[in-house]
Amino acid sequence: MLNVKEVSKIYEGKMAYRALTDINLTIETGEFVGIMGPSGSGKTTLLNMIATIDEPTTGEILINEKNPHKLKKDALAKFRRQELGFVFQDFNLLHTLTVEENIVLPLTLDGTKVKVMKNKANEIAEKLGITHIMQKRTYEISGGQAQRVAIARAMIHTPKLLLADEPTGNLDSKSSKDVMEMLQTINQKERTTMMLVTHDPQAASYCNRVVFIRDGKFYSEIHRGDNRQAFFQKIIDTLSLLGGDGHDLSSIRL
Amino acid sequence: MTFRQFAFKNVTRNKRLYAAYFLSILFTVMVFFTFAIFSFHPVLSADGFNSSVTKGMNIAGGIIYVFSFFFILYAMSSFLQSRKKEFGLLMMQGMSLKQLRTMVFLENMVIGFFATIGGILIGLVFAKLILLLAENVLVIDNSLNFYFPIEAILLSFLSFIVLFFFISLFVSYILRSKKLGDLIKGNKKFRGEPKANIFLTLIAIILLAAGYIVALVTEGMDVLAVMLPVIIVVTIGTYLLFTQLSVFIIHKLKKNESVFWYKTNMILFSDLSFRLKDNARTFFMVAMVSTVAFSAIGTLFGFQTLLTEGIKIGNPNTFTYTLNDSEEQDVAFINKTLLDEGIETETAQANLRYFEIAEDPHILIAKETDYNQLANLIGEENIEIQDGQVFVVEYEGMEDFAQTDELLNQAIKLNSGETLKPNANEVIYSRALPATDSYYVVSDHDYEELATIPTHEESFHAWQATEGEQGVLEAAEKLYSELPPYEITAGAYDVYQINKQYSPILFVGLFIGIVFFVSAGSFLYFRLYMDLDEDKQKFKSIAKMGLSNKELKKVLNRQIMILFFAPIIVALIHGAVALTALSHMFFYDLLKESIIVLSAFFVIQVIYFFIVRFFYTKQIKAEIL
Repeated sequence: MLNVKEVSKIYEGKMAYRALTDINLTIETGEFVGIMGPSGSGKTTLLNMIATIDEPTTGEILINEKNPHKLKKDALAKFRRQELGFVFQDFNLLHTLTVEENIVLPLTLDGTKVKVMKNKANEIAEKLGITHIMQKRTYEISGGQAQRVAIARAMIHTPKLLLADEPTGNLDSKSSKDVMEMLQTINQKERTTMMLVTHDPQAASYCNRVVFIRDGKFYSEIHRGDNRQAFFQKIIDTLSLLGGDGHDLSSIRL
Repeated sequence: MTFRQFAFKNVTRNKRLYAAYFLSILFTVMVFFTFAIFSFHPVLSADGFNSSVTKGMNIAGGIIYVFSFFFILYAMSSFLQSRKKEFGLLMMQGMSLKQLRTMVFLENMVIGFFATIGGILIGLVFAKLILLLAENVLVIDNSLNFYFPIEAILLSFLSFIVLFFFISLFVSYILRSKKLGDLIKGNKKFRGEPKANIFLTLIAIILLAAGYIVALVTEGMDVLAVMLPVIIVVTIGTYLLFTQLSVFIIHKLKKNESVFWYKTNMILFSDLSFRLKDNARTFFMVAMVSTVAFSAIGTLFGFQTLLTEGIKIGNPNTFTYTLNDSEEQDVAFINKTLLDEGIETETAQANLRYFEIAEDPHILIAKETDYNQLANLIGEENIEIQDGQVFVVEYEGMEDFAQTDELLNQAIKLNSGETLKPNANEVIYSRALPATDSYYVVSDHDYEELATIPTHEESFHAWQATEGEQGVLEAAEKLYSELPPYEITAGAYDVYQINKQYSPILFVGLFIGIVFFVSAGSFLYFRLYMDLDEDKQKFKSIAKMGLSNKELKKVLNRQIMILFFAPIIVALIHGAVALTALSHMFFYDLLKESIIVLSAFFVIQVIYFFIVRFFYTKQIKAEIL
């Protein structure tokens, strides 16, 4: 499904900076992969390149055997809103719109019929348990709800790949758990491929596999067995080996 | 680094942030300065101009100054609003409110000083251009040569330094007791959707409709009587239009999902109700200021046309000389003067007899030869009249004064006892004879046979210049000083005289009108830029989801268009109504003038729009990539 081949990223400028070095990553359809690493390790750079927001300096990224970076700008925009779904740390909801309007936004840009949009929105809202807040504005709902709305927006056009950048970063532990369980359920039921970038070992423990990078290089990779608890412990162990800074361990939530 | 150095560096190392503010001040100074150059010009202040014009100039200068004050105050407050976050950061580092005020004060003085100098320098560069322009608009005998305007420089410099001093003191008012938290958050506050009050919305419609109807229906002097109430009603109506009606309309559009949920409409309209509400007062101000500018310029322009057009129509000949008994001496003098000035003319003479017909003692009956002779002179077609036939001639362009229908109902008695009766299809439109009323033309034979005795008779001479037209004005001046008034007429000279007296008023009016209009445009620009950060954020998040370049352009284009043209369209409609009312007052059609003035402003606004859109779109795009 996703194939990252020998990707490097150098930021040019007065201070040239090498953010990523020769990263290889393959994600199969229906997989739920977490990317972890200390601050400044290049996690978000990698995600942005997969999200086609940023371009790799060398190497290539294939999504379903196609290289989206070769598309023209407008086609790229279409590609993004039809094939990819995004969930961000700060939700990225438009505060001038209601919850329902935020959810259908990607579809309206494509000129879908109102009736179809309504049905889809209701369907997904039911799945995510946000039906009762559909008419509310974004400042009237809690962070957990806002992130669920963002997930609904990312999922409404049934994307092939869902990319999440620190989705639990702004949430309390209860909401984090809800959101991660929701992502897991979607992953299992809809077979949506997911990639998650996070600091939070708790959130990462919901993935099938966690890839660690440090200083822009691949560090290690661990797979989840049947037990999430044990997987969480393994993640903690790897992180402590990885070094990083204290911050990475501070958010243990059990 | 001392505190003063800090304030100075704040400005000099952050030029981009201050550029818009700096440029608008610079522009204001430049406008004031060019006006000062003009009003202090030695030619104008010496003898050629009478004192009332000088007084008018001074008042106009004062108006520009007061307006500059408010404009700069506005520019500064919106500039400070956009720096809230920075102030919050500084206060978090422990800067006291007093220090903050000192900093802003110092910054403002630095900007003000350089902007004043810059404005004066640019003004000097353009001074010659302005003077040339003034020379052409104004009808003055001497040319306005370039001079080094020390007085103007001093006046502009001192006035603006004083102005900046006072405006900087206002800062304490603008920066009053804001909570640190609010400052740091900047403008990021979530608000409920603005709601329109149905009652006020209805009032807006009623007030505007009532004002318009009254303004359009009344005629003549009634216009003056209803003017003030109409202005008040329309002003309130306009305010409510922007604060209530606009929000109401957007709200209705949002409710309609097939519109609101269609493609990029959602992104566009979602913000629009907030923007309109936020900008309502600016829009109101811009609309009113522009209306004043449109109406003032339209009125002045219309007046000039009203005054000169009548003379131009009434005087098709270069020179005319009318006397009850023909005076050979005067005619010889005129011919000699024309010869001296190198004007070659064709000439014609006619004895015009006036009769009493239908109780009007001033009905002209002319003979065929006279008519044809004078018609030839101004290049009009000859007529052929049989004995027993009579034509009614209506003066072309003076339809309002014609009483053709009355003449058509009368009959002319001849000595033979016959009567001449005009036919309705024998009406001619011409400017051949000097009569604003309609008149009769009969055949030469019938002319001698007229039964009634003329009430009076006058000799009419006309000259039509064929070569040497450039000498006409000078010749006319000589003739006017030598011959008694009302006997000699030169249309071109009369128009020249009116233009000469009228042009300073026109010039000052135009100048102030343009200043108002351009500042109104700048208000909009400032408003737009205050929303830039918010827009950057918004489009950044939408772009991540996938928004093509084309869609982005479409949304931005419509958004800027609505924000830019909403107040101007309202002002154009207001202006059109005002000018229509004015033309009703004078019973004179100002349609052409109104269209010229309003469309000129519209074109300027369109150009302004394209410039602003280009930069705005560029900034947003830079943020997305």
